Amino acid sequence: MTGALPVALGNYVALASVMFFIGVVGVLVRRNPLVMLMSIELMFNAANVLFMAFARAWLQNAGQIFAFLVITVAAAEAAIGLAIVVAVFRSAATVDVDEVRSLHG
Amino acid sequence: MRLRGDVNVLAPIAILLPLVAGALLFVLPDDPRLGKIYGTLVAFATLVVVLLARHADWSVRWLARPFTAAFHVGPTPIGWWLALLLGLCTLCAVAATNLPRQRSFVAQLLLLEGTMIGLFFARDLLLFAFFWDAMLIPVFFVLLGWGSHPATAWRYFIYNFAGGLLLLFATAAFGVIYGSTDVIGQSGAPLIGAWAPWIFAGFALAFLVKTPVWPLHTWMPATYADAPSPLVAVVSAVQSKAGLYGFLVIGLAYLPTYVARFAPELVVLGAISLLYGATVALVQPDTKRVVAYSSLSHLGLIAIAIATRNPLALQGALVYIVAHGLFSTALFLILGYVEEREGTRSLIRLGGLGHANPRLTGAFTIAALAALGLPGLAGFVGEIVILSGVYQAGWTWAVIVALIAIVLASAYMLRLLQDAMNGPVVDDLPVRRDLTWIEGLAVAPLLIALLAIGIQPHAIMAAIAGAVR
Amino acid sequence: MIHHVMGNDGTYPLLIALWLLPLLGAILCWGFGPWLKARAGWLASALVGASFVLAVLSWGAGTQSVGGTLGAHQSLLSWIPGFDFGLLLDPLALLWVFVITGVGALIHLYSIGYMDGDAAFARFFAYMNFFVFAMLTLVLSDNFVGLLIGWGLVGLASYFLIGFWFFKPSAVAAARKAFVLNVVGDVGIMFAIFLIVANVHSIGFGDAFAAAGSYATPTLFLICLGLFVGAAAKSAQVPLHTWLPDAMEGPTPVSALIHAATMVTAGVYLIARCAPLWSVNADAQMLVGTIGGLTALLGAILGCAQWDIKRILAYSTMSQIGYMIMGVGVGAYEGGVAHFFTHAFFKAQLFLGSGLIIHALANEQDIRRMGGLAKKLPYAFVVMLVGVLAICGTPGFSAFFSKDMIIYGTLQHGHPWLYAVGILTAGLTAYYMLRLLFVTFLGSYRGAVDPSDLGIRHPELAGLPSDGDPAPQDATAHHHAPAWIMNLPVGILIVPSIFAGWLMFGGANSPWAHFFAGQFPVPNVVVPPISEGATSAIVFACVLVGAAVAAARYASKGALADAVARLRSESVRMPALLSNRFYFDAAIDALCVRSAQLAGTFFGRVADPHVIDGTVREAAISARWMGTLMRSLQTGLLRAYALILVFGAACFIVYYALAGGR
Repeated sequence: MTGALPVALGNYVALASVMFFIGVVGVLVRRNPLVMLMSIELMFNAANVLFMAFARAWLQNAGQIFAFLVITVAAAEAAIGLAIVVAVFRSAATVDVDEVRSLHG
Repeated sequence: MRLRGDVNVLAPIAILLPLVAGALLFVLPDDPRLGKIYGTLVAFATLVVVLLARHADWSVRWLARPFTAAFHVGPTPIGWWLALLLGLCTLCAVAATNLPRQRSFVAQLLLLEGTMIGLFFARDLLLFAFFWDAMLIPVFFVLLGWGSHPATAWRYFIYNFAGGLLLLFATAAFGVIYGSTDVIGQSGAPLIGAWAPWIFAGFALAFLVKTPVWPLHTWMPATYADAPSPLVAVVSAVQSKAGLYGFLVIGLAYLPTYVARFAPELVVLGAISLLYGATVALVQPDTKRVVAYSSLSHLGLIAIAIATRNPLALQGALVYIVAHGLFSTALFLILGYVEEREGTRSLIRLGGLGHANPRLTGAFTIAALAALGLPGLAGFVGEIVILSGVYQAGWTWAVIVALIAIVLASAYMLRLLQDAMNGPVVDDLPVRRDLTWIEGLAVAPLLIALLAIGIQPHAIMAAIAGAVR
Repeated sequence: MIHHVMGNDGTYPLLIALWLLPLLGAILCWGFGPWLKARAGWLASALVGASFVLAVLSWGAGTQSVGGTLGAHQSLLSWIPGFDFGLLLDPLALLWVFVITGVGALIHLYSIGYMDGDAAFARFFAYMNFFVFAMLTLVLSDNFVGLLIGWGLVGLASYFLIGFWFFKPSAVAAARKAFVLNVVGDVGIMFAIFLIVANVHSIGFGDAFAAAGSYATPTLFLICLGLFVGAAAKSAQVPLHTWLPDAMEGPTPVSALIHAATMVTAGVYLIARCAPLWSVNADAQMLVGTIGGLTALLGAILGCAQWDIKRILAYSTMSQIGYMIMGVGVGAYEGGVAHFFTHAFFKAQLFLGSGLIIHALANEQDIRRMGGLAKKLPYAFVVMLVGVLAICGTPGFSAFFSKDMIIYGTLQHGHPWLYAVGILTAGLTAYYMLRLLFVTFLGSYRGAVDPSDLGIRHPELAGLPSDGDPAPQDATAHHHAPAWIMNLPVGILIVPSIFAGWLMFGGANSPWAHFFAGQFPVPNVVVPPISEGATSAIVFACVLVGAAVAAARYASKGALADAVARLRSESVRMPALLSNRFYFDAAIDALCVRSAQLAGTFFGRVADPHVIDGTVREAAISARWMGTLMRSLQTGLLRAYALILVFGAACFIVYYALAGGR
């Protein structure tokens, strides 16, 4: 049994895939940590779109709850990520992720 | 026994008292005398609580899945004897302590006592495994803080922790298959199934490392030589028995067929330990290493006794566990006195101490004689009962090996005693005072117990016969 | 299960008292030594003397015979559940108790004089009393474990007393050697106990002997073998005898009490006690008889080659105990035990007499540096003369009777070879004992002669401990024991040295035979072709030959005139085999001591650090190598990690896409 959707489910999946792929490419090609964080947010939201779409389609509220959880986690993650960026900038005077590699083995 | 209120609560108290008191000692003022008096009082109180907690049994639910486990504490009959031995040895060790940073050392000793009482009181296998690892920590920190080689501390920790890991795996597997880990000292059915041999292997390896048995012993001489004597006394007297205790309450109770199947291998390892330890002790120049290797030899005998599963041998093993605990504590404390006075552990440098130290010589002599199994002292009772049982179980060659080791024991123990105490006075050794009252009182209970058990072993044998069932 | 108990059960407070009094003395002398000072000696002697009196009073209890059950049994305590301890006083035990407490009391008295002024006077008497207690435990025990406890404790007392002067390295080494070799014996008895317990589930003599006929023959032989290893170690039988000569490092009264009269005869006691076992196993009898005979002969031969007065006596002790072991071994129990009895007196007397000499000559023990002492020390001369006559078996003296009982016994029990050995040894005994007597007392005093002129090598080169008993540490002390305190006990010993043998006169009707009636199993004896009287004559002829040779070599006019040169040439030309004591020490050293030390060194220096730890170290090194390999993946480049992550995710997607819905 599926709920009525104004737009076909396939479109949501396509949108989410595009958003996720843009996020992945953003993380891989950009060297600015702020932009990388934004790309990660994009991936989270791709997941959220899917959660909402499927929740509506299958009338399961768990998906909506998970979307809220993801939003919370994303907010926390952004806060910690920005704090790390600030801390790294203070100590290394740069935010280029290719320059900061003190964790090499 | 209802009228004195609930004795069951004494079991957790016996564990928590030294742990809490030990932790508390770290925040008290750093005064060596205060540390020692406080530690002695706590150790005495713990001994009394252990004594009273003989029939205590206290349990709280812990896990329900994937298997049931409980915070179930209360001594098994054998565990109670070991805890009692531990209480006495710790009391003597604390009283004999005379070290820099004494307060912290005494605190670590108390923490060690608490974790080990936990081990002997644990009725739950998971709890047993927890305390098994927990009791490594105080020893590790003492080795780091008071020993001269950090590598020794790491070696001790890695060897024993590896054993602990195997024990944990085996415990988890045991719990999953058996459904419950609340099994120690309870007459459950033996474990069966395809995994049982692997579980046995895990337990056995953990226990053999701890004992230790050749060839898993090399952490031991280094540890015993490097750590301060009071700690070594407790570790060699009681901690080394944890593995043997495990064999008794887990191996024999829940995996008897595998103990029987691997008995030849265990007897061979025990016999090698017996001779290997004895011959090395014969030539070691370091006093504490002599006793360390002698422990390897003596514990090999107990391992043989347990492997044969003969009731007489098992009774003897328990008497010998107690006797070995008493004389090795006494020997290490006395060697600590010697080292403290003369600043060396080398038998090549030591000599002629008997002239200025008659009381020290007397105490040393009794301890050494008990260790070499002089008839009339406690060690002899254990040896003769064990070997009688081992002979009845049909291991004649192991008996002969053990008898050879007894002859070697007399040689290395007399060498230790005579090279340190007899001979002409060595000029470049400082001449110090004889035993003080406190030093003497710290070893006196051990020596008296050795004599008492040696002369009239009936009481302890009767009690132990019940424990072995 | 019914326990067979030897002796008539009852309450015998005297028995307990005579057993524990010396222990009380030991505790008092040890605990209150500094306060007792010189009184310790008197206290200790009095307590052993009291023990002797109680032993005399226990005569009736010990010799009672009710329905064929001999002696008295006193239950003590349950040792461990199922195994009980008790005291057993039967004629055999009573005889030993008499000697231990009687001779013991005299030697204690003598020690008051001998040890006078020693810094550890009270400690000495504590050890001596402890020894008496331990020895009484040994002979009074009614079971094997109690016997073993006594066995171990006398070894301990012996260790303490040999090493009494613990600042002398030679004494320390001798004490350790004695103890370790005695542990070999303890271990043998332990093995026998395991076999007995496995067969009869009891440690009591009564149970073990009641089942004597029911053991399998190999088992019984092994039991006897284990017991005999114990006996051989304690009684200095070949090849476990090497500790006894070294044990002479102890003070001379110790040598007299422990290493002549009592402790070293414990092996004889053990075999006599276990006679029910031996008498049903011919192999065990053969073994023990042969070893005993061999020991008698070897001890006598080595006794001919010694210069240290105490070592001569030590080898003679070994030889005489060889006789006793031979006697009890072949089944002539009464004879073996008789020789123990007489030997205790004359050997104690010889040792105490030699102590008089050593004391008078400021601790000189080498007989080459003596000579002409008959005039200087007439009392010592008389004492030694009586002792020598007794040990040689001069007719009328004690050993004449007891030794003949053994020698004739070997023939009666069908061992003609041992008979020959016994006769030969008797001759040798006469030779070396008269050699001792002549060299020491005849001629002129050689104390002032340069040692090298007498063939005395530098003691360190000779490899022998040469320093005698150390001089009292406070020789100038105002307090000095009177001379009689040493002379009186020796004088008392002269009486039994001469007359003790008469108890054995009269064959089956002698007091001796009556005393032991019912004690030992009655073996089947053959009527030998040679009568007892003829045997005595042959032995005595042999003794005369030995005496004549000794007289010709050491007491003739020419020998005395030329003593220095002759002693020198004898010392220098001593065969290496003899001066190395048949290489027993060297062999034991090489086979047992060195090999064990070598193994220990190998295990401790090579196996532990390199093989076992080496394996562990290899494991650690390979773990580190793995780590080095893996760390190269950790570039620290965040985007590289992200790429790997995406690549991994892509792999999963591709895998599930290809796997489809399966």
